[in-house]
Amino acid sequence: MSATTGVRPTKGYLMEMKRRIGFIERGTEFLKLKRDHLAKELTASIDILKGRRSRLLEELRVAYRSVTAAYISLGPTEVQSQAKSIKTRLELEVLPRSVMGVRYPYIKVEKEPQITGELDITLSEAAEKVLSVLDDILQLAEYESRAERIADELGKTNRKVNALENTIIPSYRGIIKFIQDKLDEESLEELVRMKLIGGALARRRG
Amino acid sequence: MSPGLSYVVVRSHAMMADLLTPEQMRALADGESLEVFVEQLVDTPYGEISIATDGDTSIALEKVFYQKFIERMKGIVDLAPTEVGDFLLSYYYLRFEVINLKRIIRGKYSSIPTSQIVESIIPITPYKVESYEEIMEGETFQEAVRRLEGTPYESLISSLALSEKYDALWPVEIALSYLSAREIFKSLERLPQSDRGLVRRIVQAEADVENFLVAAKQRSSRESAHSPEEMFPATFGIGLDILSEVMASDDLRTVIQGLNPPYNEILAPLYEGDVALIRSRLRQHIYDIAKRGRAVDDFGFNVVMAYLIFSEIEKDDLVGIAWGKTQGIAAEDILKYLAIPFFI
Repeated sequence: MSATTGVRPTKGYLMEMKRRIGFIERGTEFLKLKRDHLAKELTASIDILKGRRSRLLEELRVAYRSVTAAYISLGPTEVQSQAKSIKTRLELEVLPRSVMGVRYPYIKVEKEPQITGELDITLSEAAEKVLSVLDDILQLAEYESRAERIADELGKTNRKVNALENTIIPSYRGIIKFIQDKLDEESLEELVRMKLIGGALARRRG
Repeated sequence: MSPGLSYVVVRSHAMMADLLTPEQMRALADGESLEVFVEQLVDTPYGEISIATDGDTSIALEKVFYQKFIERMKGIVDLAPTEVGDFLLSYYYLRFEVINLKRIIRGKYSSIPTSQIVESIIPITPYKVESYEEIMEGETFQEAVRRLEGTPYESLISSLALSEKYDALWPVEIALSYLSAREIFKSLERLPQSDRGLVRRIVQAEADVENFLVAAKQRSSRESAHSPEEMFPATFGIGLDILSEVMASDDLRTVIQGLNPPYNEILAPLYEGDVALIRSRLRQHIYDIAKRGRAVDDFGFNVVMAYLIFSEIEKDDLVGIAWGKTQGIAAEDILKYLAIPFFI
């Protein structure tokens, strides 16, 4: 079905179409701005994440080795008994944050566990190593989730811009051109008709 | 030597054959998986072990190894003449009871359910207290400690003030460790003079290393600096002056290198960065003391003690291997922390 099917070639419709295309073009400009900003945010997030996961994995490996050593050295029951004696546990709050309307989770550490008091030195060392990577794990999780959601939104925005630029706007332009052509044609017909009538009247008088 | 003792010594010699050799222990650590480990145990005195599929397998295995050790220990205690039996009861039961009390108090301190505390208890019959359940019935850890009134542990009640002052458990735990060491030394007096050396060397080495580790740990929380006298009621080869130096020092390397052997070697991992190795080196040292003690007097109390020490270290190594295998840890990472394979 053609884009002009059902189009009323009237001046009122033409004005409505022109108003609509103006609105769509402004919207497209905004979406382009959003796309550029999201691309900038994504690049910044990726720069932060670059190499971070591999560094974190290495730190986690070291921390896990310490935990393993503590378990082998003290036995699982003793480790669990000591670990349970830590009164202040890690408390987190996950809050929503937004960049250009894209919501991502922000992790706020409410309370950090106090590990110095009650643990055996072996376990205490392991716990300190785990705790030292905890901030990095939380930050990495936050940035990875942020990057993922921004990339997702960037993809959607890009598709919208492309659809508007390549399909919607050209089709509106086609409709406007069609109406203008029709109106031009009608006004030409009207002019010819007026001329013919004018000629006939002049002949009758003469 | 009493006839009673000679019988236990002969039995200990015989039962020594039941212990796993360093080679067997290494083979167990080298096994590919937990299933292989359990299969290999079938050919040892541990025989076939059935593990419940629900719950933590490594903890279930830990219980099996503890049970085996307790059986072995009871076997010796039942046969031993009164003075040796009393000492062994005091040495092992008291130590295990102290571990149980620490676990109960920790559980109460962090308000974990009683069922979980019961799960963590070493399966021994209560030694100096009436029952563990009665202590667990206390609502708070303070109440649990107060329930020890009228038992040999009642001196712990006085450590509660310090515990409340610092809002920490260490004063109670240190008081328990001190009480345990003091009781063991007291029970040593029941043994003939000639038999005391081996146990004294072991208890002192354990206490010295433990004190040093506590002092080293305090460096990180210097803002709450407690007095060394408060923290270390009993010191032996590593005196209060050294422990104070440790608590104030930024460089443990110099302090440790200045210690006498074997402490400088046992504690070296503290500055080398692998603290867990200290306990395996301490176990290796104790194993060595027992081995040498046995070599000095192959027909005396040292043999009995050596059998039980080897057996206890075997239990600790097996617990470590079982946990490592449950977690799929590589053999070389497990072997590093074991004591017995070191003697291959």
